[in-house]
Order: sequence, then C-alpha cells, then structure tokens
Amino acid sequence: MSDAALSAKPERSWFAENKASIIRHGVINIFMLIILAPLAWVLMMSIKSRPDAMRGDFWPRKFDFGTYAYVFEKIDTLPVNLWNSIYVTGLTTLFTSIFAILAGYALVHMRPKGGGIIVAALLVSLYFPTRVVSIISVYEIQSYLGLINKTWGLILPYITLNLAISILIMRSVFQLVPHEVVEAAKVDGAGPVRTLWEIVLPMARNGLVVIFIVNFVTAWGEFLLCSTLTNDQTARTMPVVLAGAQGGLGQWSWPNLAAVYMIVVTPGIIAFTFAQKLFFKGLMEGVVKG
Amino acid sequence: MVETTASDRMTTSLAPQSRLAERLAALRNTMSAWWFLLPAIVFFVGYQVYPIFRVLWISFTDYEFLSSDPAQFVGFANYITALNDPLMWASLWRAALFTLMFLPGTIILPLLLAILIDKVTNAKLATFYRVVLLIPAVIPSTLVFVLWKWMYNYQVGPINHFLVDVTGLFTLQNAPQWLGGTPLTLPAIAVMEWWWGLGYHTIFFLAGLAAIPKDLPEAARIDGASEWKIFWHITRPALAPIMMILVVLRFGSAMAVIDEYLIFGGFNRDTPTYTWTIFMYDQAFKLGLWRQGFAAAIGMIGALGMMVVMVILIRIFRPKG
Repeated sequence: MSDAALSAKPERSWFAENKASIIRHGVINIFMLIILAPLAWVLMMSIKSRPDAMRGDFWPRKFDFGTYAYVFEKIDTLPVNLWNSIYVTGLTTLFTSIFAILAGYALVHMRPKGGGIIVAALLVSLYFPTRVVSIISVYEIQSYLGLINKTWGLILPYITLNLAISILIMRSVFQLVPHEVVEAAKVDGAGPVRTLWEIVLPMARNGLVVIFIVNFVTAWGEFLLCSTLTNDQTARTMPVVLAGAQGGLGQWSWPNLAAVYMIVVTPGIIAFTFAQKLFFKGLMEGVVKG
Repeated sequence: MVETTASDRMTTSLAPQSRLAERLAALRNTMSAWWFLLPAIVFFVGYQVYPIFRVLWISFTDYEFLSSDPAQFVGFANYITALNDPLMWASLWRAALFTLMFLPGTIILPLLLAILIDKVTNAKLATFYRVVLLIPAVIPSTLVFVLWKWMYNYQVGPINHFLVDVTGLFTLQNAPQWLGGTPLTLPAIAVMEWWWGLGYHTIFFLAGLAAIPKDLPEAARIDGASEWKIFWHITRPALAPIMMILVVLRFGSAMAVIDEYLIFGGFNRDTPTYTWTIFMYDQAFKLGLWRQGFAAAIGMIGALGMMVVMVILIRIFRPKG
C-alpha cells in the first residue's frame, strides 16, 4: 500500500484511513480487554453464589452480594490484617515521601559537596539486586532490634524499598524549578524549610503524586520482607495472608477470597483514577526525563 | 542549566559581602543541606548499603544464624563450594531461562501497543487508554501474583475453564498444570509479568514517541517511505535510549525474581523455579541451622553475575554516537 498514491486520491484515502483506524482501535481494545479481564473475573467471583463459583461460567446464575459483609463478620483475622496493611503502608509512604522530598531538594537546590557521590550510590542501588541479597542482613538487624514478628517493625525496611527511586524522582522534579526562584526566596529572608514548603513544593505537586502512589503500591503489596520477618498470621499484612490462603470451603471459599481481594485492590485503583492527570504529568517530569 | 549557573555567579559576585561572611554562609548552607539529607542517608545506609557489605562479609565466614558458635573466617571456601555445586549453575541457568522468556514479550508488546496508541487522535479515548494501561501498574505486586494464581488455578481458574469446558481442547484429566513447579511454571510467570508490565512500559514508549517531531514521519511519508522504513529509521533510533533503560532494568528485575517463585514454586530443588534467589533463601532461612555464610556467597555470585551481564547489555544497547 503506497501512501503517496493514496494522498493523490482524497476520497479513497479517507476510506483507507478509516479502515486502518478501525483495525488499530480493534487491536488496542483487545489489549485493554486482556488488561481488564482478570480483574473483571475476580469482581464477578466475589458476587457469585457458592455453587456458581465452582461452575466456571463468567456470568453467575445466582448472585450473592452478601459475601462482602460475610468476610468481615466471619474471618476473624481480616480486620487485623487490613489494619496492619493500612498503618504500615500509610507510615511507610509518609516517611519515604518526606525523606525523599528533603533529600531531593537538598541535592538540587542546596548543592552540598559530595552530593554527586550520593546520587551515584542511589543509582547503583537501583541496578544491584539489593532487596534480595540484603534480606540476610536485614533479618539480622531486625532480630537485633527485637522486631521479628512485630508488624510495625516492617516500616523500617519498607522505607528503604523505594527510597532511592523516590529521591531520584524528586530530584528531577525539583530540577524543573529554576534556581532563581530559590535564590529570590533566600534574598527575601526565607529559610530553607520555608522555601521548600511554601514555594518549591507546590511547584512539584505532580512528582509528589508519583512518589505517593509508587510507595503506596510497593508497601501495600510487599511480600518478601513481610513473610520473612513475621511468623503469625495476625502480624502480617492482608495481601501476604491472601497469598497463603488456599481456595476451598468455609471462610476461604472462592467468593470470599475474591471479596477480600476486591477490598484490598480497589482503594489503590480508585486513588489512581482520581489522581491520574497529576500522575501522568509527574511521570513525564520525574521518571521519563530523569 | 548553563544559564542558571551564570546568573548564580552574578548574584554572588554582586552581593556586597566580605569573603568570610560568604564562606560562613556557604558553610551554613552545606550544613543545612546535610541536615536535609540525614534521614534519607540514615535509612539508605542502614537498610541498603550496610546490609550489602554485611552480606559480603558473611559470605567469607561459616556463619550460621541459629548456631551458637561464633562465625569463623573461611576465605573463599563458600564460593568454591557454591561454584562446585551443580545446583548453583542449574539455578543460575533457570533464572536466565526465565529472563529469556520474559524480556522479549515485555519490550515488544508494549512497543507495538505504544505505536498504535500514539496514532489515536481522539483526546478522550487516548486518556481512557492510558488510564486502563496503568491499572496493572498500580496493583501491588503480591495482589498481581494472587490474581494470576487464581487465573492459572486448576479447578476454578478461567484459563483452564476455557481450555476444558469452553473449547474442549483438554479434559479435566490432562488439563495443563500451570503452577507449582511444573515445566509450565516459568512461561506462566513470564506471561503474568508481561501483563503486569504491559501498561507501564507502553506509557514509557509513548513518552518517547511524543518527543518525535510529528512533521518528521509526515515528511518521510510524503517522500514515499514505507511504514516499516519510518519505524526503522525514525521511531527506533528515537526510542533507543528508553529501550536500553527498559532492557537493563527488566533484565535486572527478571534475574532477581524471588516473590513469584516463593508463591508459585516452593523449595523443591528439581523444579524450574528453584533459581539462585530461592537457593539463597532456602539456605539462609530454611535448611539446617540457617547456613547464611553459604547463602551469602550464593547471593553474591548471583548478583555479580547479573551485574556483569548488565554492563555488557549497556554496552550493546548504548545508542551510537
């Protein structure tokens, strides 16, 4: 198909263009379907009656919306595991973000001697399989601090999971803020904390959204550290318990499992959908350019 | 950047300050910079830098975590034992095999999809596609694994339901056993990872495509260049830097996969999911008195092997010129 020939005949080129566009959208939508299908399957599973769950049809013969209430009433460790997930993830996200903001700002706008070495070390840690190899020593540290099987103790290693990438993202976002702005604030007598908080941070909103989401997602779904550093089911986070649950009868029947899954997975997806505009902008500023 | 530095120099030289005051101000600035960096450094050093060096040290000792005997320095003994163990090589090969299955799909599929989506002109549709694309990226890792554990489930999983009940290609007796250390486990995990990374990588490529000036392919098209030629001579070079980052980063994550193998595989030494990471974990936290000296050596061999290949990859894929 020669495009030069097509552009010579406008009425046929319109038709050909349309045809190409239909095929294009068709292929794109197949991909979209592949992305959404597994989630749709779990959603349907969570509102199926139990006999339908074993039948395998996508659309149930009989709906049962009671599963969601049932799992909260009958699975006694569920509220504990959910609470574990919530506070561990919340505090991890909060601390990592604060540390990354401070460090990223210092690296760009305060330019300390030796900053280059820090950036290099952060970059190397991204390429080295740090998470896997360091687990031996992290276990030792946690055991020394008496934090084995303590849920809140997970926060300490969790903070470092994304610390390097968060600092690098904030660094490239802060690089978009001109030095003149910071200098002007300094001339006006603002200290570094006030300059950062009142002037620079509002300009880095998109990048903040990115590191919030990245840290939330990582901490919420962390498996290796949680399953290694805790032993009791009540000390673990919800996804880790879910990963160990075998589908079957009783409290872990398939619709129940699916309902728990939906409860754990939707907050992140909803939060992302609302923040997506800022997230994409931040992604372009922070990740792609950096 | 050049401009800002120049103007900075101007402001400092114009400021009516003595050199001592200037130096004091600079010192104060450096001091507060380090205060800003301190929390990040404490955690980064405490939980990443120190552990790596600690593991490196442990790898030269006969350290056993549950043993009360003090660890002895044994030099390269652990490394020699590991390198003489066929399981070390088998486990490295398994990780490499998984990487070979995983890498092509996780680069080519998003590239294809990005080229298609880049041509979508309807702004609302384009936004919708992007939002759907990133949904898997905001599903936390363990929940992706749980999701696909169910997809591949032998009894209720939709994949086997499709193969047995819908198409009748298999019966319940010979339906494929996807997970649990069967030969299908590695390809099954690779497909799951494609799904997981599809959207995120597509967004990466889309950002690269957006940077290509639109009139460049237009001009080529008017000159009669084929779509393939446009891709090869304009799109491909423009995406080369992104491609390199993705190949190197994903090579790294694929070689060091561990959570997936823990959830889908287990600790049978003969199964394809028993890679160097599981070998290390097994020795460190499961077997005997937790032979962490030996485990540390396994981890270091795996990590260094990976790093060597990564440097080679960077050299191959580095954009020319």
